[in-house]
Amino acid sequence: MFTKLAVRNVKRQLGNYLIYFMTVSLTVSFIFAINNVIYSPQLLQWVEEASSMKIALIGLTIFIALIVAFVLGYATAFMLKLRKREFGTYLTLGMTRKNILSIFVSETMIMCFTALGLGILLGLFIYQGLIMIMTNLMEMEFTFADYSAKGLLWTVVLVAAMFAISSMASARYLKKVSIHELIHGDQMVEKRVKHPTLWLLLTLISLSVVIGSCVMFCKQVDILLLKDASSLGSVFISLFVLAGGLILFHTAVSRSIVNLLLKRKHFCSSGSHTFVLRQLSASLRANSIMIGMIAFLMAFAVIGANASFALRANTRAVLDRDIPFDALYIEEQSDADNQYSPISVDEGEKMIEKYAKIVERLPFAFYTTGRDDLHNCTEWSGEDDLFITESDFNKICQSLGFDPVQLNQEYLVIANDAYTLQFDFSQTEIGAGGRTYRYGGISQDYPHFAYVYFYVVIPDEAVKNMETATRCVAYDLADGKYDGNRLKEELSYTVPGDDENDGPYEMCNYVLKEYNRIRSNSILAVFVVGALYIAAIFLFMAMAILALKILSTLAEDKKRYRVLYRLGADEQEQSKALFQQTFSFFFLPFAIPILLSIPTGWICGRIMKLTGFAAQQTEVYLIAAVIALVMILIYVLYFTATYQIAKRTVIVNNQSGR
Amino acid sequence: MNEILEIKNVTKYYGKGSVVTKALDGISFSVEKGEFTAIMGASGSGKSTLLNVISTIDRVSSGEIFIEGARLTEMEEKQLANFRRDQLGFIFQEYNLLDTLTIGENILLPLNLQRKPHEDADRELVRVSEALGVSDQLSKFPYELSGGQRQRAACARAIITNPALVLADEPTGALDSKNSKLLMETFQMMNQSLGSTILMVTHDPVVGSYANRVLFLKDGKIWNEVNRGQRKRQEFYQAIVSVTAALGGELDVH
Repeated sequence: MFTKLAVRNVKRQLGNYLIYFMTVSLTVSFIFAINNVIYSPQLLQWVEEASSMKIALIGLTIFIALIVAFVLGYATAFMLKLRKREFGTYLTLGMTRKNILSIFVSETMIMCFTALGLGILLGLFIYQGLIMIMTNLMEMEFTFADYSAKGLLWTVVLVAAMFAISSMASARYLKKVSIHELIHGDQMVEKRVKHPTLWLLLTLISLSVVIGSCVMFCKQVDILLLKDASSLGSVFISLFVLAGGLILFHTAVSRSIVNLLLKRKHFCSSGSHTFVLRQLSASLRANSIMIGMIAFLMAFAVIGANASFALRANTRAVLDRDIPFDALYIEEQSDADNQYSPISVDEGEKMIEKYAKIVERLPFAFYTTGRDDLHNCTEWSGEDDLFITESDFNKICQSLGFDPVQLNQEYLVIANDAYTLQFDFSQTEIGAGGRTYRYGGISQDYPHFAYVYFYVVIPDEAVKNMETATRCVAYDLADGKYDGNRLKEELSYTVPGDDENDGPYEMCNYVLKEYNRIRSNSILAVFVVGALYIAAIFLFMAMAILALKILSTLAEDKKRYRVLYRLGADEQEQSKALFQQTFSFFFLPFAIPILLSIPTGWICGRIMKLTGFAAQQTEVYLIAAVIALVMILIYVLYFTATYQIAKRTVIVNNQSGR
Repeated sequence: MNEILEIKNVTKYYGKGSVVTKALDGISFSVEKGEFTAIMGASGSGKSTLLNVISTIDRVSSGEIFIEGARLTEMEEKQLANFRRDQLGFIFQEYNLLDTLTIGENILLPLNLQRKPHEDADRELVRVSEALGVSDQLSKFPYELSGGQRQRAACARAIITNPALVLADEPTGALDSKNSKLLMETFQMMNQSLGSTILMVTHDPVVGSYANRVLFLKDGKIWNEVNRGQRKRQEFYQAIVSVTAALGGELDVH
């Protein structure tokens, strides 16, 4: 009988259940999609690093599961709130609490199985969509990805667990709550905020913490990139501080801002402001922590999306800077007579030509004095200084579109990163070929084709008596993609281990841009998709929770707006009041996270500059602006839909005023 | 003639096609300034419909309604809203006060909607809250008050704008007898001391006996009218009961 009642209840309240149902189904579909990504055998083939990424992705799924448990718990509480009076009435009619629990659990089970079914169906498409994005990022052709039985199982287990947890919490409440509270509890809507001054103080303090953590993060990034690469922990600390500050700020604002505005008599005496403020007061106070959590989710959606796209821009720029040539042969010094390498330079060139035509060939060499005169000025003393002739360097610059250098009895230090710029070489003179060369400056703005901290450009005659450290040949290939993985395989050879404890290992004397591009794209694809996925989930959940909250109070709002109508507020005044009420509630957890786009974009731009990619700063700022605009657009669309539903339900006019 | 309210041949239909109900059938009457008039009738007699069309939250099908000379039937939606705000006061049976506002804020709300300066509004608040005996409850929320106190607060809100007409729809419907009596004494005070013109709908002869005049509705028409004159309330009550008996027995009981 109770199952029948439960089914009838679900059918009867389909309108209310629809919002809950859609939220849960979409959540299930996202979880199903990401679980299939994690356990996808095809992905493992594509992404070499996937086995280590898998652990990160599993961690990600558990994290998302926690967030989703929070959403489901909230959604279930929303449904329970709608039904409180009904359950109270059942109890007064003689039903036992056990009966009520049976009905509630039956309804939840119906919802769970239906949402699971629909969610998995949707997830089938979302998963293919994710794969499409990843193959696009990896510049591969999209093929239909197989589904994973493990992914399906893990989804069912997670969703069932989440439903069980939220049902248990609701069941616990239903077991203990009094009948009076069920029937009359919603009348005590407005409780006074305790210690409003304290909450106001906390608002100011936490705002300072948010600003301070942004400044701290920026400083830590500077230290990380310029001084101490081991200070990554401090960077994470500043992020944690930001998270805490955001949650506390929004919690405190929710409990203090209405109180503050209600004290402004001039403001309150104008129109329906008091009414709107009181409408907000109840909902903000009761949901202050939830609003803090939503702001946290939104902020990290903004930061995650910006970071992922900035990383993409950075990866491309790093690739172009660090591997400026399509292919670069670097003679292995320990194998100058090709003892192990079966591939000579000519043979290597023939192999390359099988994949892509060689357009230009640039041989050059690095020389050494065998001394560390310049490395002695740094923390890397003991390393031999490396030199390249001015003419070789200028040929390379010309080939890559850089300005040539002109040296006059001086040498130029070329640094590979900003870290090297802090060292002072100005007191060091280089003696070579019977001459002395003084310091001519340091630059980070030239192409990187030597995998060292820095090298030195010196006039041609200086290297006459130097030893050849390494011979290199740079190749410019014809435009177009080729299978960089296969070419790398063909150009690699096996070298026996150094002693009997070491096994043989793979060596390759060639640095292939296309191979590195594919490799970095595949790692990037997982990160970018993961970050965007989290950002989308967070954004979606935030909007779902806010919309659920607003829609759950429409029945009571309708009664209040009817009173307002009878007191003389016309449709326009009511619409304005409803807009102010809905907009304030919707926008409060969104404002600061969206404003965080500014420091986030600025910091990403700064990181670009510090890593030597000042030219990409504009691209990063543009990315930040586009992300902010897209999020605002999605938010506005969602808000508009919610407001329109609320307006249709709540606003009273001459036709509906009775 | 100092008529506040004039109803001329008002008719109201509900429904469409084959299912049409005539709720009001050519009603005409007037209410003078300072009168306390009750409208009584059986369930379905049209009394709530009458109150709804007078209070401008519903439109008549034909006829005219004038309040202080203003013709309601010709007003647009916005004008009606302004009219309700400035010229009418409401006391309902339930959902009178906004549960999210304090008592003081509830009483001030009509003046806020008029955008009256807060200094003037505060003065009016003190005046009416003291007159209605709710000045100690201004910072409380409705759920902290008894039913009777809530209705007195509703009365304060109804009169704070000095409206031309106070409309009350079953104001004692949710109160016990003791609080009903207290509320009706409050209505009498509003009428006699503060000069409020009150039009009240009720089914309760005891409540009706506090008015100066009772109009009886039957099938959408005014069927009878009883004036208190110089009679005491108890005698007036007996007269009402007699008319009720002649009407056919019990009036509607909510």
